Amino acid sequence: MKLAVLMSDYRTGSDIVDRLSAEKLGIILVGNGVYHAAAKEGGKACAILDKKADFYALTEDFESRGFTADKLDSRVKAVNYGDVVDLIFNDYEKVIWL
Amino acid sequence: MATKKLAFVVRSLPYKTEASRLALTHAISSQTVEIYLNDGDLVEASISYVGDGVFNIMKNQQAGKHYGITTNEGHAKNTLLLDLRVLICKEDLDKFGLTGENLIMDADDLGGDMKANIVSYSEIQKEMETADHLLFC
Repeated sequence: MKLAVLMSDYRTGSDIVDRLSAEKLGIILVGNGVYHAAAKEGGKACAILDKKADFYALTEDFESRGFTADKLDSRVKAVNYGDVVDLIFNDYEKVIWL
Repeated sequence: MATKKLAFVVRSLPYKTEASRLALTHAISSQTVEIYLNDGDLVEASISYVGDGVFNIMKNQQAGKHYGITTNEGHAKNTLLLDLRVLICKEDLDKFGLTGENLIMDADDLGGDMKANIVSYSEIQKEMETADHLLFC
């Protein structure tokens, strides 16, 4: 299955992501989920980024919170709303929201 | 003459819920409470940022551009236009690798003369202990 995960929280959902498996997994960080891409705790990037997946962060949401694309982890691609729609319709079969 | 001490402590992230925004709004408006008090009675308020709450006061928030709403950054600046203590937890800034450079520490551009203070958590704890009313959100 090709699964896209929309992740909109920072402190919850990581446990579920750990258990998810898919032939192709995309994690789209939106809302407060963008902190997974931009925040470092104790100098470490978020552990979720170690998951074998393609990561995306919604530009509108990380810019609204004071971050710029160059502050994102290198594993994360900045996308806009249109890109997210394209990902959901073109690249993945199923979508879940955490 | 009595002084009522209010402590607002923000620990939640911005925008997804109204919690942190409401704390800022209430802190800003808290001084208007004085019109309901007896002559000479005062309200003294502080707002503290702990844990994830420190992200509320990041510079360069673009919520106006993307969401069409005022930013928490703007609200944070408004708190610095008032006679309000603004405290930011140093340990939490260190944890996230943030410094005063990343945050709203003054409202000089709006003519404000208050500065935010980066303090250890123990000082915020003291603020909570000495407050008559505490809002933790």
